[in-house]
Amino acid sequence: MSYSNPASVGIIANPASGRDIRRLTAKATVFPTIEKANMIQRVLGALGAFGVGHVMMMPDMTGIAAAVERAIVAHRAEAHIPWPAVEFLNMDISESVTDTFNAVDLMVARGVAAIVVLGGDGTHRAVAMRCGDVPITTLSTGTNNAFPDLREATTAGFATGLLASGRVSRAEATLANKRIVVEACGRCEVALVDVCVTRHMHIASRAVWQPEALEELFVAFAEPDSVGLSSIAGLLQPVRRDEPHGLRVRFGRAGGSGVRRFVAPIAPGLLERVSVAKHGLMRPGERVRVVSGAGTVAVDGEREIEFGRGDTVEVMLDSNGPRTIDVARTLHIAATRGLLDV
Amino acid sequence: MASELTKDRLLQAYRTMRTIRDFEDRLHADFATGEIPGFVHLYAGEEASATGICMHLGKDDYIASTHRGHGHCIAKGVDVMGMMAEIWGKKTGTCRGKGGSMHIADLSLGMMGANGIVGGGGPLICGAALAMKLRKLDDVAICFFGDGASNQGTIFEALNLATVWNLPAIFVAENNGYAEATSSKYSVACDNIADRASAFGMPGVIVDGFDFFAVHEAAGEAIERARKGGGPTLLEVKLSRYYGHFEGDQQKYRAPNEVAHIKEAKDCLTTFAKRVTGAGQLTQAELSAIDAEVAALIEESVRRAKSDPKPAAADLMTDVYVSY
Repeated sequence: MSYSNPASVGIIANPASGRDIRRLTAKATVFPTIEKANMIQRVLGALGAFGVGHVMMMPDMTGIAAAVERAIVAHRAEAHIPWPAVEFLNMDISESVTDTFNAVDLMVARGVAAIVVLGGDGTHRAVAMRCGDVPITTLSTGTNNAFPDLREATTAGFATGLLASGRVSRAEATLANKRIVVEACGRCEVALVDVCVTRHMHIASRAVWQPEALEELFVAFAEPDSVGLSSIAGLLQPVRRDEPHGLRVRFGRAGGSGVRRFVAPIAPGLLERVSVAKHGLMRPGERVRVVSGAGTVAVDGEREIEFGRGDTVEVMLDSNGPRTIDVARTLHIAATRGLLDV
Repeated sequence: MASELTKDRLLQAYRTMRTIRDFEDRLHADFATGEIPGFVHLYAGEEASATGICMHLGKDDYIASTHRGHGHCIAKGVDVMGMMAEIWGKKTGTCRGKGGSMHIADLSLGMMGANGIVGGGGPLICGAALAMKLRKLDDVAICFFGDGASNQGTIFEALNLATVWNLPAIFVAENNGYAEATSSKYSVACDNIADRASAFGMPGVIVDGFDFFAVHEAAGEAIERARKGGGPTLLEVKLSRYYGHFEGDQQKYRAPNEVAHIKEAKDCLTTFAKRVTGAGQLTQAELSAIDAEVAALIEESVRRAKSDPKPAAADLMTDVYVSY
């Protein structure tokens, strides 16, 4: 199979994902650098099969780009299907989320057809804040991810190639997503899965895994088979990604009047008893003001904003999340239409 | 929640970090005069690591330090007057002036010593942790080491042994980016030291070493786990040193303005002060009072160190051998 087309695809691989404190406080996966590089090679193989000629990739200082560079040299010597030419973006590296922002900005400015993202909920959130209407292919390499797919990179690359080559249209291959906008202390953040107001005073190690610290949770979707804070909502009242509303959960004290208590997987292997005072739908466009003492706001499971007593935290659900490539649907279309025939 | 940070604890954290910073800044200035014997390797910039970790420890917990050990000593409670005198080679020093900067030790406080052997602390804490385990104590032993030591066989052996024996041992890789003049980007094969933990069957976590709260929280979890019999942990604390590998190091291997940028953007003391005052936990006046007290303490430690006597010739053979 060999096609040729001028489309470019971007690749963002977060070198920091999969290494936070949940390796210690839970049984979270370790996602080594070399496996991220391997996944990128599998994506390149799939893109190459559709003749995608050019890939832009975010550089890094931890060895992902270096490993891919070595693999490209080796691949030239042995493979019959060429990989796209890989351009490591010429940009400063700060080893922070700024790198993701800058790389996505460059990719969007140069008109990529799609961006393949390897990371956790946090990485996808960062990409979503900058990618505009460029669709993203999600690949989970983080901890307890609700937003990205945990799937084989080859098929994800395959679906991306079908979209980038124009064989499956954007309307057919992609899905819209909700998001939650949170504003506090002059900052505005976007969550793709959940916003949680916690009693933790400081951002510290970022992750949230202690149920007694939970104050209020807002989710864009709630899947009962997920892991993380959104699983709490999913076990109360499932909300699909394609439903317009989200869910709001108010935590209570164990033994309090009307408090429902149940077990939820708030991190991999970490099943905790949570106490919920009440929950209800979160309507799109409705601004919700949170009343709380001092604490932190966690966005997609990571503490991001510290706020003091008297500060205002406001959240709002809308439908302006990123468009994501539906790998299963795209490949189903390709199969039924014979788009993979050679 | 593990290890609640009360107001007193926050004040203690700031005092410890400020003491380490002022101690090192003063040594930086005084070493240039040529009066201080031997070498010194300064810990300035890395204060959040030693402080965030050692605040969870009592005197029955043990730590093994590195050649860059002043911060670990201060955070573990070693007397600042004695340390300064030790570095000046005076008889009133922690080790009676015979150890100098790289051998400050105080076993009565669980401080097993700074160590001139790169990676030398790993096996030491395995021994200490084994003793704790056999005595059925809930104490822990902690090894601080750098990115250079992370490539040493002693550390690999210690990581292996700690898991095999399920020891209450915490390995703290203080990755400041350089082993002397060699960048860890070049010398550490898998780039993140924490990634190596899984090969030894223990959790490995990366922590922002500029953030006291991040270090304190992660260390609290690791130490609590070890005390309960959960076994060893590898913490990789990513941070930066403000001075050279040793005093006199021209640091031509670092980018122009690298340190200035880090100081401006990430300094642990500045960040700490901003967070605790912003959250209404402490006031600037309280922090300033500590600044003044610490400045006076360091000044006094130098004054005494300069005027204290050196060891006499008759002291040469004392404190050298121990009879068991």
